[in-house]
Amino acid sequence: MTPAPHYDFVHATAALIAISALLSGLALLAVKQVHEQVRVYAVLSAFAAGYTLLVGVNRGDAALIVLAAWTAVIKVIVIPVSIDRAVTRQVSEHEVPLVVQVPMSLLIGVTLAGLAYWSAAALPIHAALLPAPALGMPLSLVLIGFFFMITRQNVISQIVGLLTLENGVFVATVAIAPGLPFAIGFLLLLDLLPAVLFYGVFARLIAARAKTTSIEDMSVLRG
Amino acid sequence: MAAWLLIMLALPLAAAAAGAVVGDRPAAGRLSVAAATGSFAAALVVVFADDVIRGRHALGNTFFLDGLSGVFLIAVAFVYAVVAAYSVGYLHPGIGHIRLRRWYWPLLNVFGFALLATPVVANLGVLWVAVELTTVVSALLVTAEGSDESLEAGWKYIVIGSAGLAIGLLGIVLIYAAGVPSLGDSYTPTYTTLAHTAPNLNGPLVRAGFAFVLVGFGTKVGLVPMHAWLPDAHSEGPSPVSAMLSGALLAAALYAVLRLGAVTQRAVGPTYVHVLLLVFGGLSLLLAALFVLRQNNYKRLLAYSSIEHMGIVSLGLGIGGPIAAYGAFLHVIVHAAGKTLAFFGAGGLLSRYETRDADEVRGVIRLAPFTGIMVLLGALAITGMPPFGLFRSELLIVTGGFSHSRYALAGLLVLLVNVAFVGVYQVFHRMVVSPVHDIPGNRARLSRREQPLMAVAMLASLAVVLVLGLWIPSPLNRLLHAAATVIGGRV
Repeated sequence: MTPAPHYDFVHATAALIAISALLSGLALLAVKQVHEQVRVYAVLSAFAAGYTLLVGVNRGDAALIVLAAWTAVIKVIVIPVSIDRAVTRQVSEHEVPLVVQVPMSLLIGVTLAGLAYWSAAALPIHAALLPAPALGMPLSLVLIGFFFMITRQNVISQIVGLLTLENGVFVATVAIAPGLPFAIGFLLLLDLLPAVLFYGVFARLIAARAKTTSIEDMSVLRG
Repeated sequence: MAAWLLIMLALPLAAAAAGAVVGDRPAAGRLSVAAATGSFAAALVVVFADDVIRGRHALGNTFFLDGLSGVFLIAVAFVYAVVAAYSVGYLHPGIGHIRLRRWYWPLLNVFGFALLATPVVANLGVLWVAVELTTVVSALLVTAEGSDESLEAGWKYIVIGSAGLAIGLLGIVLIYAAGVPSLGDSYTPTYTTLAHTAPNLNGPLVRAGFAFVLVGFGTKVGLVPMHAWLPDAHSEGPSPVSAMLSGALLAAALYAVLRLGAVTQRAVGPTYVHVLLLVFGGLSLLLAALFVLRQNNYKRLLAYSSIEHMGIVSLGLGIGGPIAAYGAFLHVIVHAAGKTLAFFGAGGLLSRYETRDADEVRGVIRLAPFTGIMVLLGALAITGMPPFGLFRSELLIVTGGFSHSRYALAGLLVLLVNVAFVGVYQVFHRMVVSPVHDIPGNRARLSRREQPLMAVAMLASLAVVLVLGLWIPSPLNRLLHAAATVIGGRV
């Protein structure tokens, strides 16, 4: 008879964070308002930062602890607040047109999460603190982020989808390659790049499009 | 070698900094041309003066060069140099309609820097950062004309490209994790480290990692079905930027796929890598060949042609064996030159006729003979007509297919390349050669002569794609053989 796995406080907390992060990802699919989508993203990022902190403390790895703090500052505070202040208050509409409605989105989201866990189970790898399958939750976030991006007809929502996807990759990196030395550097860069792009192009987009963030009419280029 | 590498990378950064200070003045352009030409010269010295074909590190584990790096470095350095020269003329008042003039040169030079860094950095994480940097700057360059269409194209490019690269990063992380059991928890993920340990890497993780890498970086290569950004970005960006995207950026992203493909091949055998390259390459070639038949926007047509050619390279590498791989690597270089020429020609058309619609462009050969000839030669070059280099490289890939008993694949390649020829050439032929009865628009603008540096850039691209169709210099021949050894097998 296989002995039951031993769960201490740290592992239990990690499992709780993983479940909460997954639920946050799914919650994103249920939200129509741009402001609320940004807030859900902030919550999701807080779980990502919390997991990184937990792994860092457990490994005694100062770099990961710094990364957790940086993630909390950038993703939980700076990016959401910047989007909220600089963009969403300048535009007229706040409810995002949906290609797929909320109930169907949730159903598809759960299916994607199931697919992610099923795929991750085929990979022979253990994650730092996370219950098996190691990449189940991160891959779920990646797929949900993708789905969110392609079914929300709004620039801010697409940014949120991209950042959610990026959160999935971020958690996967911390989970399966916490010792990747260069990770610290390029993950920080990864955090900043979408924000740079966001300000560089999107600011012009708003100016050019009479203060709307809808991309429903961004369909001139076809074929 | 290290000194030349540093010079090669420092020049574009210096030009970018100078451009940021100087602003929208002719000096910024002149400095950029000098820097890009210097970088190209330094790249040639690095690749040919030192014996890099056996694989060499420089500055500790900072840089790594082998035949594979060399091929891609030459391609991107050449494109950067000719694009810088062409841009000087294109930014001349009344020619290219670029609104982002203040930041054009700094962005172009940082773009050049990132492209040059991609094939020479040893650390796979830094490789990812370099490719990501190309997205940041090139997306802004795509929007440089400031039209609604260019903003839409830039937006799609950012969103799809960034998502793709996040997936590519996940692939690198998985391959890193595959090495943890044998290399320890914390190691520097260089190609040589992973390649030497390849037999001990965790096979399933490497397979999964490469699949993510191919999908992720393949998005930037423009492989179908991740290509959605490419036709928009290539057609709506300023023509020199389109040339840089098509000739250099796609190649740089493909380099990332192949570098990690080389690790995967050593770890799990060549079949897995070859099959994936065949599937994505074949799909790209098929879709692009069909789409060029229905395009009337000549820049968009060239964009689909880029997808076609990335498909050909992937197919050539997927066929496997030294002959097809040699042909595929030659194709990278000649496509860079040929497509650069074609986009330069398209820029000449756009600046005169102010439309991308091929139906509204007529009589180019009569009104602007030099541009007309360049456009026509560019179209012939990229459709693989002899004596141009793309004919030679495609012939080598087909020969490699036959020598490996891949008759169906070789036959499919021949068929689709001919379909693409019909689609591309008939549009360009019509624009250039068809008689024009009533001159549309301003005759002085239509019959304006090319700016000298634009003409030089076109002639340089033409010279490369033509000469390499007739003769391959011995050092380049050795380099191509070495590249084929890295991923295609021993010659």
